[in-house]
Amino acid sequence: MTTAKTDEVAKGTPAPATPSDQRERDRMRRRLARRRGGGWWPYVFLAPWFVGLFGLTIYPMLDSLYLSFTDFDLLTPAQWVGTKNYERMFTADPVFWDTVHATLLYVAVSVPLKLALALGVAMLLNRDLKGIGLYRAAFYLPSLLGGAVAVAIVWRQVFGGDGLFNDFLGWFGIEGQDWISSPDTAIYTLILLAVWQFGTPMVIFLAGLKQLPRDVYEAAEIDGAGPVTRFFRITLPLLTPIVFFNVVLQIIDAFKTFTPAFVVSNGTGGPLNSTMLYSLYLYKKGFADLQMGYASAMAWVLFLVIAGFTAVNFIASRYWVHYDD
Amino acid sequence: MGHQISRRTLFRTAGGLAAAGALGSALSACAGGTGAGSTSSKLTMTWWGSDERHAAYKKALAAFQEKNPKIEILETYSGYDGYFDKFNTNIAGGSAPDLLQMDRALVAQYARKGVLTPLDSYVGKSLDLTGFSKELLAAGTVDGKLYGVPSGIGISQLTANRSGLEKLGLTFPDREWTWADLKNLSVDIHKKSGGKIHGVDDGGGGTLNAFEIFAREHGQDLFTTDGKKLGFTPETLQAWWEYWAEMRKINAAPAPAVTSAAHNDLTKNAVVLGKALFTFDSGVYGAGGSITDATLDFLPTPQGDWSGAREGNYVNGGVLLSATKASKRVADSVKIMSFIAQDQTAIKDMMLQRGIPPTEKARSVIAGALDATDKRNMDVADYLSKRVTKATNDLPTPAAPPQGADQIWNLLFQSNLAIAFGKKSIKAQLGEFFDQAAGILSA
Repeated sequence: MTTAKTDEVAKGTPAPATPSDQRERDRMRRRLARRRGGGWWPYVFLAPWFVGLFGLTIYPMLDSLYLSFTDFDLLTPAQWVGTKNYERMFTADPVFWDTVHATLLYVAVSVPLKLALALGVAMLLNRDLKGIGLYRAAFYLPSLLGGAVAVAIVWRQVFGGDGLFNDFLGWFGIEGQDWISSPDTAIYTLILLAVWQFGTPMVIFLAGLKQLPRDVYEAAEIDGAGPVTRFFRITLPLLTPIVFFNVVLQIIDAFKTFTPAFVVSNGTGGPLNSTMLYSLYLYKKGFADLQMGYASAMAWVLFLVIAGFTAVNFIASRYWVHYDD
Repeated sequence: MGHQISRRTLFRTAGGLAAAGALGSALSACAGGTGAGSTSSKLTMTWWGSDERHAAYKKALAAFQEKNPKIEILETYSGYDGYFDKFNTNIAGGSAPDLLQMDRALVAQYARKGVLTPLDSYVGKSLDLTGFSKELLAAGTVDGKLYGVPSGIGISQLTANRSGLEKLGLTFPDREWTWADLKNLSVDIHKKSGGKIHGVDDGGGGTLNAFEIFAREHGQDLFTTDGKKLGFTPETLQAWWEYWAEMRKINAAPAPAVTSAAHNDLTKNAVVLGKALFTFDSGVYGAGGSITDATLDFLPTPQGDWSGAREGNYVNGGVLLSATKASKRVADSVKIMSFIAQDQTAIKDMMLQRGIPPTEKARSVIAGALDATDKRNMDVADYLSKRVTKATNDLPTPAAPPQGADQIWNLLFQSNLAIAFGKKSIKAQLGEFFDQAAGILSA
């Protein structure tokens, strides 16, 4: 279509058609075509991304939405059952509520602790010491290992009945217990693991701290503001957009936690479903118990819950996040 | 101050994108589709097991290929963890293996879903099942058709730490022993070891098999034949849980944290850790190998009351070999099944890696080459299979367990643990167990 239009424009020009003119006109036409969007070439270059977006994200999402209204065991074709999966989830599956409980506890405890630690360490690391880069790297390291299975396995050993942690407690004469196989403590070992991996929000905090204006601090110091006042009156308010960013991302991340729960509990979510995080149960339903329809419904409920939390976060942010503009 | 953190829109976009991406991946991971057919020109075969079993399979398959050079085999193997998750995904994605090792507990589920192909038309032709008893073949038979070739006689045994028992100066129990004997001996173990060692790991939920035999002694089965309902009464389960509550109370069985830690982790098994001398978990000496240095021996699951006891034991089929329905190579798969079951080289390569061999002939082929523990293992299995055939008051071999059986086992485990941790009374848990089990079996 673009080319046709350019032709019309060209036709309207009453110039004699000498060869050099012709060449000039061709060049013009091409330049025009480029300015008007360049035909289909850009789309060719974008194609891999589109294939990925539609093939690997949008289509599977819609497929899973469809499956959430079916009985689908992976092996035989899906059967439409309406909202049965959703009803069963909320009315007839006690394990579902166990997982909701475990997940909310996990999110509510791990996210604030992790962010507080990340901010604290970021402030400690925000100074010009010799070898500071090394310290920063050392604190970031656990996050690089992030979802690694190996770390979770180590965790299982550390907090097991005869693990390092109990040896450590032994030095102080405290007799430990098997932290991972007791239903009252197991979830806290997972929370501790999450908090320990505070590196990513820490780096983001550090980047934010670096941007804070020094002159404000100098002025405050001259006015006699102590470190505590400076933190609460200057650092924290100026940093709220970063805090907000981290809160949103960490909450989403925490809701989706799978690997540590899977590995630390040996895939059981035990003891007594105390570490049965939502994603783990979803996985078990889909791939182990062959209830992919139910698992899809669970995935959509998770989607809505996370979307809800994120929306509330954005709305609440109006009251506590200070932007400079 | 004008240039710092003020990129409101940037934050929104970045945050939003990250959130959308994160969610998208969570959702799209949960979609699937059905397809059919294997994509490789080679015959794909898959199994789970220990390293020793992998080596045995590979040796046996190499021997097969020497005689059948035209059949190329693509071998894939792993531990049990995730094995069936992967199989399910493969089936759904249309890349199912042609031939696979199948779990006795799952064969009915897969057969009824039309994933496996019936083998009856090959029996007596390319599938040689000479010497397989009827009881044994029942393990692979679903609704009257054969869907899997059993690998051996599986007998529910108790694994015992013989050297540990001798160290305490206690005598090894008789094969004709009772639940009361187990209790008394366990109390002795705890006393003589100065409270360091318990008798037996908690069987209240540890394995479905122990309870199954207990139920069969009461003339009941785990499931009704059609697999739609539980086959035992609340009273039976209550008696079982009360027995184990008592065992924990008198320190005959270890504390719940020990039981809980061993869930899905053999290395934490009470016998492996030296915290108990008996275990119902056959994995401690599974697939022909031991994961403890102790000298092991084997015992039948105890009976309610030896004189005139009702036989609860039965012979099952170990693991099975099955062919998938989508496979275009069923005839070749059957040849391999037949070879592994009957060929002398294959039998010698396998030894006890897939359980006690299924036929007299195979057992005699390997008898001379067994080590001491293997020999004791086979002795008890032999003794038990004879006892089962002689028993006049036993129930028929149970039908292959229905879909959801593994969830029922998990429920039993969790229920026993909830009682042990003191979170629920036996009565309350009993009601919950039957409610939830009904839900699982009708799902």
